[in-house]
Order: sequence, then C-alpha cells, then structure tokens
Amino acid sequence: MTPMIEVRGLRKVYRIGKEKVAALGGIDLDIPQGEFCCIVGASGSGKSTLLNQLAGLEKPTKGSVVIGGQNISAMSEKQLAVFRQNHLGFVFQSYNLLPTLTAVENVALPLMFKGIGKVKREEMAKTQLKQMGLGKRMYHKPTEMSGGQQQRVGIARAFVSKPKVIFADEPTGNLDSKTTVEVMSAILKLVREHNITFVMVTHERDLSGYADRIITLKDGVVLSDERQEHPVVAEELISEPEKENMTHEDQTETDQ
Amino acid sequence: MRITDLISLCFENLRRRKGRTALTVIGVVVGTCSIVVMVSLGIAMNVGFDEMIAEMGDLTKIDVYNWGNQGKEVKLDDKAIAEISALDHVNIATPIYNARYLSASIFSGKNNRYQMDAYNIVGMYPEAIQALQYELQQGEYLKDAPGSGEIKKVPVLVGQNAGYNFMDTKKRRDNYRYPGMTDAKGNPLPPFVDVTKDKLILKTNVNDTTDTSLKSLEYELEVKGVMVEDYQKGYVTSAGIVMDLNLLKRLEAEYMKANKIKDPNYGKTGYDNVTVKVDNIDNVTEVEKKIQELGFSTDSMNSWRENMQKQSQTIQVVLGSLGAVSLFVAALSIVNTMTMAIYERTREIGVMKVLGCGLSKIRSMFLIEAGMIGFLGGIIGIAVSYTLSFVLNHFGPALMSMGLGSMLPMFGSRVSVIPPWLALLGIVFSTVIGVLSGIAPANRAMQISALEAIRHE
Repeated sequence: MTPMIEVRGLRKVYRIGKEKVAALGGIDLDIPQGEFCCIVGASGSGKSTLLNQLAGLEKPTKGSVVIGGQNISAMSEKQLAVFRQNHLGFVFQSYNLLPTLTAVENVALPLMFKGIGKVKREEMAKTQLKQMGLGKRMYHKPTEMSGGQQQRVGIARAFVSKPKVIFADEPTGNLDSKTTVEVMSAILKLVREHNITFVMVTHERDLSGYADRIITLKDGVVLSDERQEHPVVAEELISEPEKENMTHEDQTETDQ
Repeated sequence: MRITDLISLCFENLRRRKGRTALTVIGVVVGTCSIVVMVSLGIAMNVGFDEMIAEMGDLTKIDVYNWGNQGKEVKLDDKAIAEISALDHVNIATPIYNARYLSASIFSGKNNRYQMDAYNIVGMYPEAIQALQYELQQGEYLKDAPGSGEIKKVPVLVGQNAGYNFMDTKKRRDNYRYPGMTDAKGNPLPPFVDVTKDKLILKTNVNDTTDTSLKSLEYELEVKGVMVEDYQKGYVTSAGIVMDLNLLKRLEAEYMKANKIKDPNYGKTGYDNVTVKVDNIDNVTEVEKKIQELGFSTDSMNSWRENMQKQSQTIQVVLGSLGAVSLFVAALSIVNTMTMAIYERTREIGVMKVLGCGLSKIRSMFLIEAGMIGFLGGIIGIAVSYTLSFVLNHFGPALMSMGLGSMLPMFGSRVSVIPPWLALLGIVFSTVIGVLSGIAPANRAMQISALEAIRHE
C-alpha cells in the first residue's frame, strides 16, 4: 500500500546574507495512512521547517513531498489552496482563531472556503464542537474562552472537513499540563475514529507518548525513527472528574 | 467560497474598525459631494440657459428664409413648404405673411367714428395657428376660407388689445384709450370699440388720391376669436389681425387690381420666411439640418442653445475636475486604510490561506471592502449633495442679493440641479474609485506568505 505521505530527498537551504544554511539536509520519509506521527528535536533541529515543507507552506529547495499521490511541491499557490481545502487540516500553537468570529463560525471557516452553504456548514461545525465538549461555547468569541477551549475550537476546525492529513505545530505549546492532556486526548480520539494521518511537531518529549511513531531530528537530518507498539489510548488519558464534566456539558447541550 | 459569505466577512471587517471606516467613508462623502455639487452647478447653468432662451422664443421653432445658404437660387413657395412639412418630426410649416402692398384701415362705430390702421395683418395656414400655440382668450380658431367667389365677410382673429388701437376721429384730444385707464371717479374706461361685438369694416386706402378712377374696397371683418397677448409670437397678438393666408392673398390681389398696381414678380418669388414647428426640442438640430440640405437658410434658438451648452459643458468639466481633486484625496485615504488593515490582519490572512482560502478570494475580499467604503461614501455623498443642492437653491437667491452672487454661477431659477443620472453616476463612480484604490492593497494581501503570516505576532 502506498503511504499517505512520501518524502524524497527533501532539502531546504536558507540564504542568510551570503551564507547558505541547510535547514534540512536530505530527508526520506514514508508516513502511512492513519499514523500518529510525532516529530521531535531540539530548537533549530529543522522540525518546524520539515512540517512547513510537508504542509506545502514553503517550497523545498530540492526533493519532493507527495501526499495521497499528489506532488504538492510542484503545485501552484492556487492548486495548493484547493488541495488544502480538500485534504489538509492544521492545528496551530497560538490557536489562530479569527477574533471577530464565534466558535461555530471559526470551525465552519474551512467549509466556507469550500463553498458549503451557511446552514449546512454551521450544522457540521456544531456537531464537531459538541464532540469536543464545547456545546456551551458555540457562540462565544475567542476572547471569551480559555486557552484550552480555544485550542479545542482550533482542533474542531482542523477536523471538521474530515481531511486526510492534519498537521500540528506545537499544539499544546501554550497550554498548562492539565489542559495539554485534555487537548491531546481529544486529538487522539478523533484521529483514531476517522483514521486520519496526524503529523505533530513538538519539543516536549512527554507528548510523544501518544504517538505511533517518533521521528527525532538533529541538524536537519533524521536522527532516529522509532515506532511504538502500544501508544497511550485516549480513554486512559482522561481523568474521571473531567470525563463526567464533559459528558455533563454534552448532555445539557442535547437537552436544550 | 460563496459571494454572500465574502460580502458578510467584509462587512464584519468594516464593522470591526468602525472609527477608521467612518473616517474613510467621510472622505469619500466629501469627494462625491464636491464632484456631484460642482457638476450640478453646471447642469443648473444649462437648465438656466434653456429657461432663458425659452423666455425669448420657442425652442422648437425654426425660421426658414427665402434665400439660399450656398449661393444657390431657391424659392420658398407652397411647394417647398409642403416638402418641409413632409420631413420627419415637423409638426407644421407655415408662412407668416405680411401683405406687402395691402394698405387699409379698420373702422367701427357710428359713421365710422373710430379708426385703426390695419398695418399689422398676418396671413397663416389656419391649421398652423393653433399648432404654433397662438392662445385664444375667447372664441375659436379659424377654418379654411373659401378659395374663390366674392369676399363678403373676412373671418379673423384679433389681438387682445386691438380695441385700444382705435382712435376717436371726432376728438382732437384724449382720442385714445389705453388698458387700465380710468375716468375722473376712478371707474375703468373700456376701449372705444368692443371688437367681439361691434361691427368692424376694413377699408382699403387709395394709393393715389389724384387718380379718381381708383376705388376703396370695403370688407366686413368677422371676429372669430381673440388672441392672448404674447410677444414671442409678435405684436400681432396684441393689436394685430390674423387671417387665412389665402384670403389675405386674395385681398391683396383685389387691392392691387383696384389700385392698378402691377408687379410682374408678384407671387413668383415665394414667401419671405416660413415658420416650422418641430415636435421635440431634441429633434430641432436634425430638422434644421434637413431644411438646410433643401437649400434654405434657417435660424432657430437651437444654434444659440447648442453654443451655450458647449460653453456650460466646458464649465462643467472644469468644476467637475475641481471636485475630482477631493475624490482623489479620498481615494488615497482608502488606499491608506486598506494598507493599514492588511498590516493588522496579516496573521488572519495567513491563517485563511493555510485553511485553504484561495488567493483570488483574499484579493476579492479586500477589493470588496474597498468597494464597500466607496459605495457607502457614494450613497451618503449623494444624500448630502441633494441636501446641499436644496440649501443652495433656497438660499442661493438670497446670497445673490447680498452681493455674493458672483460666487454662484446662476442663470436660471436654480443654482444646483442633480438629475437622477448624476446621482447614479456619483455612486457608481465612487464605488469604482473605491475598488481601484483597493487593487494595490489587495494584491499585497494576496502576496503575503502564509508561513510569515502565521509567525507574525
């Protein structure tokens, strides 16, 4: 079976003044469908650069990235926009919710870009938000929510269009440890449910416990590529009181 | 992405920056206003010209003369008139004929005591009298007079004040009456002759009193109607007589015979001039040109009007350009506002790009926002313009009397006229200016790198 993401001979060289700095020095990588993949490394190891190349946010200097059989390195900006609409999702470290929009509108945004009508896309967004335990926050603006809630909205936004691949750049970087657990378990649950390929960059080694696979980068090359047989299961991560809290919230929502 | 979604996003963005949007819109309002009001002054000038010319004469009237316009020999006879009548948009064409040879007086009263010189007798086609808008105070218009046979009664229309033109031949002093005259007690004095009731006799003068063989001819005038005085139509509506052209020609012929006047060219050279009435003011140029193509010289208020219109057009362009300067400044402020918006929203734009928003959509978003500013400014600007126009028209005349009139180019009753097309044009223009101002910022927004934008803090 062909992998979901195929990386071949990926190099990225930045010019800083007259000097050339190789951020990525020839990376080959296959990520199969449904894999939860964690890219770790110290600051400056090239992990963010790799993610940007994988997601098509930057063009590689050399090599190619193929997602679902399509070479995104060769795509124009226009084609990339359509490709992102249909196949990719993103979770950002700083949430990046649009401040003027409510939670529902933020989640519905990628669907709006796809051209889905208001009623239908907001219905889909609401369902997604309820699943994330945010049934009570649907019409709140980002500024009226906590960091954890905002990130859950961000995750809902990434998952709402059921993309093939979701990229996450330090998704819990701005969260405390308790919220981190909440957010990670939410992600894990969705990834498993929908068999979505998930690629996450983090410098927190703890988080790699959730992953099927941990790729360690150093100085722009793969230092190690380990697979874990039994990653942490979603349910185990949620402590009892929180579980009750979430179900309670969901129920009140359905009661309304 | 649907256009409705785009528009509502834009609207939301404008609402978010209320203060700045308002300021930019005000700029456009001022710009639109200055252009529209300036142009409206020019239009009012045009309207004023038309009012002015209309006061001086009928704008739909063309005078045709019996001489060629290219040195060519032409003859303005009944045949030529028929030809002119047959042209498109011509309501009627008629000679307004002054019997050159006929010399006569009109008598009334006992022993023909009251006398009036009949030097103002005009002959026209009967059907043309009404078409040329000779208004009647009372009575009815003329019908075709019989073309042959003995002339016993002459049906005529008389001018409103014809009665006052009779002189009392028995008196040496106070032998005239005039309108508004009163006796010693202040009672109004009527004219000597009531033309509608008293019997009027037209007596031709004898050409040569030494020749006893010459006879004076007498005809009874039958007054069919009284014309309303209107100096645009000529003195004839005041104290003259209008009759059927053919009848007048026959009277003239009888007179010439009675006085043994011989003119070999009589009746062969055609009429001196012919009046043509056109159905609509906008067709005057076309009809006039066609008559000139027939070889005749013409004259109408239209050539003057066109000249004035050209002049006022120049003034309009100058005034409009003055206004355009402020709209240009407004356009710069739109560019500024949109550029600021891009800096503020760099991150947002990046996020949208990463989430799959097409480049063209980002561009349209900014263009629509800029266009909305222009449109809003245009709408409000037009509303303000109408208000200003109203104020100018109401207080403009007052300003004139205060000696500030030279500041306002006022020729007619109004200082500023905003026709619907100008209002519409104002809105379209300001919207287009808005969109054009948005192009550079929108292109800039499109080029923002998604990656840079997300990193942007």
